[in-house]
Amino acid sequence: MKALKIEHNQGHFLTEENVYDTVDKIDKVILLRLVNLALEDDFQIDEYDEGELRNQAHQIIYKSISEKLNDLHQRRNQFRDESKRLYLDEYEKYKA
Amino acid sequence: MKKIDLHIHTVPTISDTDFTFSLAKLSEYVNSAELDAIAITNHDMFDLSQFNDIAEELDCAVFPGIEINLGKGHVLVISDNENLDEFQFKTQAVSEKITSVGDSITVNELVHIFGDLNNYLLIPHYQKRPAISGDTLDQIGGFISAGEVDSPKKFIRMAKDETEITPVIFSDVRIREGMSKFPTRQTYIDCGDLSLNSLKFSLRERNKVALSKSDGNSLFQVFDDGQKLSTGLNIVFGERSSGKTETLNQISKEFENVKYIPQFSLVQRDDANYEKEFNADVARKKSTFADKHLSPFKTVLDDVLNVDIGINHRMVEDYLVTLLKLAAEAEKRDAFSNVALFNETKFEVGVDEALNDLIGSVRQLIENIEYREIIDKHVDVNNLKALACELIEALWSKAYERKKRILANDVVRDVKSKLQLRTSATQVKDVDLYKVMIEHKKVTKFKQIAKLLQTEKVIFEERFQGFKVVCKQRAFAGAREIKNVSGQKVAFSDAYREYSSPYKYLVALKENEALTPSEFYKYFACIEYEILNKDGFKVSGGERSEFRLLQEIKDAQNYDYLLIDEPESSFDNLFLKGEVNHMLKEISKTMPVVVVTHNSTVGASISADYIVYTSKEIEGEDILYRRYSGHPSNNELCSIDGKKINNFQVTMNSLEAGEVAYVERRNGYESIKN
Repeated sequence: MKALKIEHNQGHFLTEENVYDTVDKIDKVILLRLVNLALEDDFQIDEYDEGELRNQAHQIIYKSISEKLNDLHQRRNQFRDESKRLYLDEYEKYKA
Repeated sequence: MKKIDLHIHTVPTISDTDFTFSLAKLSEYVNSAELDAIAITNHDMFDLSQFNDIAEELDCAVFPGIEINLGKGHVLVISDNENLDEFQFKTQAVSEKITSVGDSITVNELVHIFGDLNNYLLIPHYQKRPAISGDTLDQIGGFISAGEVDSPKKFIRMAKDETEITPVIFSDVRIREGMSKFPTRQTYIDCGDLSLNSLKFSLRERNKVALSKSDGNSLFQVFDDGQKLSTGLNIVFGERSSGKTETLNQISKEFENVKYIPQFSLVQRDDANYEKEFNADVARKKSTFADKHLSPFKTVLDDVLNVDIGINHRMVEDYLVTLLKLAAEAEKRDAFSNVALFNETKFEVGVDEALNDLIGSVRQLIENIEYREIIDKHVDVNNLKALACELIEALWSKAYERKKRILANDVVRDVKSKLQLRTSATQVKDVDLYKVMIEHKKVTKFKQIAKLLQTEKVIFEERFQGFKVVCKQRAFAGAREIKNVSGQKVAFSDAYREYSSPYKYLVALKENEALTPSEFYKYFACIEYEILNKDGFKVSGGERSEFRLLQEIKDAQNYDYLLIDEPESSFDNLFLKGEVNHMLKEISKTMPVVVVTHNSTVGASISADYIVYTSKEIEGEDILYRRYSGHPSNNELCSIDGKKINNFQVTMNSLEAGEVAYVERRNGYESIKN
């Protein structure tokens, strides 16, 4: 399922209950959940389309969030690996 | 007692400077030093034909040997006189392995080449450079008979130490054509016949070796004419130009690691210059001390440097103002200001230091060697490893979450700022109250610590032979003092106005761009370092010299010999009799000390172990310089060539200007006293 989609000229996001709500309801906790979705392999969204989105507030939110999440999705492996590099040598030494 | 020198070079190798060997000189050396046995020990090689020539020429026992680069040190391997061809064959294998400077062989290779090492006498460089390393010593320890040292001081120290191996001292001489002086480093050994086995047997017992023939380790030979000195305290006296200073110069030239304090070297030739030098030395010590004392404060300061309480206050204020404004303008809300992100705050994204520290601590428990046994007694190392892994996994997951939050914060900030552009509604300014409060605490602590540092008190005090080194901390008395400490041409008067309030003072320092923040820690408290005399006052010119002499004598502990030429020429008698004599006596318990003097306070009051009277004598048309020596209690002192002289007479003449003068002086004092 798409994490972000444009429908009826409004921006929507996928809620925890797998239904859609409008992007003006997004707060930081929801945003963090979307970030988690973007790190999954099957992350999908509708591309930003200014013509489709009539609500100007929705334009601002949808554009910013979709760009960032897309970028993160592209670099999701690097993003994960960077955190795992901490103390990796020690980890491998003791794991053996 | 037999006299032996088992370390002699007769062939220049890559490890030596070039020289031309002289068999005649070797013979002269053996005869003049009255050696009973020698060993030929060239670097990593053995020349059989030369050895045969030497053995044939000399009357003493001559052993074949080799000095081998073993690991990072040197070891003498000495063989008996049988199977010389076999010894040459084996040493040839060493020569093949060591072909350039820096090459060496391992213990395994040594054993492979020589077989059973019990058949040889092994003597490593022990307290002598390049010394054999601890690892190598452990491996060949069972085969070692003695350890070579390079000074009587080290010899005696080892001889007294039951836990040490037997010390030996050898010349390590290159016998060259034209050499005029012969070495004096040999060892006396109490052994029956002069076979290799007998030597090995005797070397196993430390009480069978000595530095002198009949006086054990209390005397050692200092010059090649046979002149001996005490391994303790020696006094050299005699008339003017009779060779006293020359005696010290000769020792200083022929021995290594000698501390020599020449005559007048400590007198103040140029008072202003000397004081400057002395003060510079004090300043250096002060700076080291101040840095050490201030280093914890510096850590605190570096942390607080990044805190800006002013900005924090503004942020809290902005937050409150915007919040109240937003509440008052409820009617102005529009599509932009109504979205959830418009007033969203950011996630906290600080690094979890506690977890990092915890991982570090567990790692220490796993890797610590010193307390391994205790740790293992209580915790299984495998459990610790599992714990470390789990903590690291927790760290990864935390780090991963943190990265996500940082990213979400980026989006929040981006969306917020864009929404703000489109609406007239007030956006609530974000504030991190946690950070504000922690930084507030930091500044409070910083103020307390700075105030403690400015409280006047003595932080270090050391007494040193009647002098006192005192270090104090106190608040600076004015801007000028701070300027002096900074060593810069920057005025501190503006900042100093805030000095009583440490944080404000720090802000003022930060505002002055000419100052370097990494130096700020020096500008909060004044550290004083002073040397005071026994009355508690600053030292005078003469006292500075005294302090320096005592320091020089103290410094002699790092050397193998201490020589002092006429200390009385710079100092008064009370000082000499008190501190100087005491220190010389103490230091002479561990190393040979030689003092040249005319002065009865030094010469007679110090109770020397050995005295040397130098004398310039005219015999026919020749001028002869003789040294008469012996123990202070001897009736007569003897010269090397067998002449004798009355001890009482020469001591009186040299130290008291003759018996008549001495008696007159004593009577004079008696009459004043009465």
